[in-house]
Amino acid sequence: MQAKWISKKELKKLLTAWTKHYLVYAPIDNDHELAFQMVKEPARIVVDGYSNTRYPAKSLFLPQSEVLMKYDGILHSVENTEKEKILFGIRPCDAHAMQLLEHALVDVENPDLYWKQKRESAIVISKACIAPEETCFCTAVGGSPFNTADSDVLLVEMGEDYCVYVLTEKGISLCKELPDAEDTQLQAVKKLTKKVVGRMPVLLPKQELHNALMASFETEFWKDVSQSCLGCGVCTFLCPSCFCFDIVDETVRKERVRNWDTCMFRTYSLEASGHNPRPTKVERTRQRIMHKFAYWVDLIDEIGCTGCGRCVKYCPVNIDIREIAEKALHREFEGMKK
Amino acid sequence: MKNCYEPFPMHIERIVIETTDTTLKSFELTFDREADRKDFFVKYNPGQFCQLSIFGKGEAPIGIASAAWEGDFVRFTVQKLGKFTSAIHAMHVGDPIGMRGPLGNGFPLDKWKGMNILVIGGGCAFSTLYAMTKHILHPSHRADYAEITALYGTRNSGLCLYKPVIEEWHNRNDIVVHQAIDVPEDNWKYHIGFVPAVLEEMAPKPDNTVAVLCGPPVMTKFTLPILTKLAFPPERIYTSLEKRMKCGVGHCGRCNIGHKYVCKDGPVFTLKELQELPNEI
Ligand SMILES: Cc1cc2nc3c(=O)[nH]c(=O)nc-3n(C[C@H](O)[C@H](O)[C@H](O)COP(=O)(O)OP(=O)(O)OC[C@H]3O[C@@H](n4cnc5c(N)ncnc54)[C@H](O)[C@@H]3O)c2cc1C
Ligand code: SF4
Ligand code: SF4
Ligand code: FES
Repeated sequence: MQAKWISKKELKKLLTAWTKHYLVYAPIDNDHELAFQMVKEPARIVVDGYSNTRYPAKSLFLPQSEVLMKYDGILHSVENTEKEKILFGIRPCDAHAMQLLEHALVDVENPDLYWKQKRESAIVISKACIAPEETCFCTAVGGSPFNTADSDVLLVEMGEDYCVYVLTEKGISLCKELPDAEDTQLQAVKKLTKKVVGRMPVLLPKQELHNALMASFETEFWKDVSQSCLGCGVCTFLCPSCFCFDIVDETVRKERVRNWDTCMFRTYSLEASGHNPRPTKVERTRQRIMHKFAYWVDLIDEIGCTGCGRCVKYCPVNIDIREIAEKALHREFEGMKK
Repeated sequence: MKNCYEPFPMHIERIVIETTDTTLKSFELTFDREADRKDFFVKYNPGQFCQLSIFGKGEAPIGIASAAWEGDFVRFTVQKLGKFTSAIHAMHVGDPIGMRGPLGNGFPLDKWKGMNILVIGGGCAFSTLYAMTKHILHPSHRADYAEITALYGTRNSGLCLYKPVIEEWHNRNDIVVHQAIDVPEDNWKYHIGFVPAVLEEMAPKPDNTVAVLCGPPVMTKFTLPILTKLAFPPERIYTSLEKRMKCGVGHCGRCNIGHKYVCKDGPVFTLKELQELPNEI
């Protein structure tokens, strides 16, 4: 890891220079809503002063809707036209989510080439959160607002400057011109990190939570916590680590397409015989929470929620995944009947 | 590198109407491309399935009902239910169709060498068991296994699949076949009753034996306790599961039970494995 330093003014210039050689995706203000988009005018990039985008950056690698194949009597895969690109300004939680998606979509035998090609051609420049929101809880699930894992470069806003942590070879190639940070500057970053992290929630005991959830599976706990759920799916569509998709044929366009899907819908698991292993919101809510906090732990010994807080913030009926996890951890389900 | 979602082109070579009510048909598909054929037979293990694809109707996971030695084709036995399965039922010999696979794990046939095999099938879920039994009965494989016993139940005799071959099995001396129907019929020579009851009557010995069970959920539900009663240990009871599927390769998230994906880690599981997973079949 190298620590470099750049002023805000210089970074703007650097961003403009990058747009000449790379496709740059960054948060752009669009009708008062920030979203990651390809940068056409560097001046419109929003670098500071917000916590996170509503729409997750996973859409750049696993689009909400994506053409997989075209049909002309048989199905042909669409060609890979990915160019090298920079993803600028993503939060450490979302960078980590991309690592989780990589695990879900890429295996040795059957890699998802659509994801893989997009992911491999991207340089990830993330930005530390110096003012996490009330709904943020990355520290509870093993992350940090200053997490350097899963990024090529991490920027930390320091007054009129940024500290630039260069983390990988890809990062070095972009930042080699920048001067090294000085010791006093790094001391200041450390102090800030401590201050911000100190205000964040403490780490959840993942194995204990996993065991508690497994024990809760067949209890009324899930009826209790899912009571107000509308089944809208917002919590999963906006979740950066959710990856479920559907594959459908668009017959007019003659394309086979994949679209984001959600385990919160009834039809998701409905079988042709009429049998549905998850017939109500009770089982579906249980699946959403168990996948993040139990099944991911079984798979890779890591929680599959990055604590970005989107599902908490945007749920229309205020269902809070943190509360459900806390309740399960305190074994509130014990004594609830099966 | 191969795109795991792209079906390869096949053609329908033969169609057999299996049941008197015509809701079940077998389709034998042949490969358009030599490379796909090679690739398929290198990987194929009985108990696996494929995603069949008809553009406009999507895909459906269907178990493989043929043994590799039968020839350069792949057989699927399909029950007419919804969008995809109705579309394939309306197709003819010579029609093109897409296929991805083989997918999933299949039966651990190597592990079973030297053991007795008890095959228990019900209704249309018999197809992969049929492929497995055919595989084992081949002269070059038969000596690898001890006694083979099959119990196959259908609602009535007309709903029995693969009738000519099963008739032939009755006359062989290297397999014992028990057939059952739910209610009596004229000229029926075999058992009458539901599979669990017939199994209890047969009382097969669990020693050095694996039980392989595929059937409709009710049959499975009532047969498992009988096997347990007969002292079959859960690690020697195998079953093949169905779940709604899309990708078939463990990426789309759809078919999980706990942290396992039925498409990739299954569809074949031991009862022991299932007991360790959340109860969400
Ligand atoms: C491993 C496996 C092996 C199978 N083997 C056979 C077989 O040998 N013969 C046979 O007739 N059927 C088999 N099935 C069931 C078969 O896949 C469904 O009946 C079929 O998908 C229904 O599709 P449909 O379009 O007619 O029904 P619709 O209700 O119109 O289904 C729409 C879509 O939902 C999905 N879907 C619905 N039900 C199921 C289901 N039970 N399982 C998986 N996906 C589903 C499919 O993607 C399907 O295209 C198997 C299922 C699995 C998982
Ligand atoms: S579960 Fe909620 S908090 Fe966790 S990563 Fe997904 S949207 Fe963010
Ligand atoms: S966002 Fe809230 S209401 Fe909508 S499906 Fe998720 S938990 Fe239920
Ligand atoms: S069908 Fe997609 S994960 Fe199993």
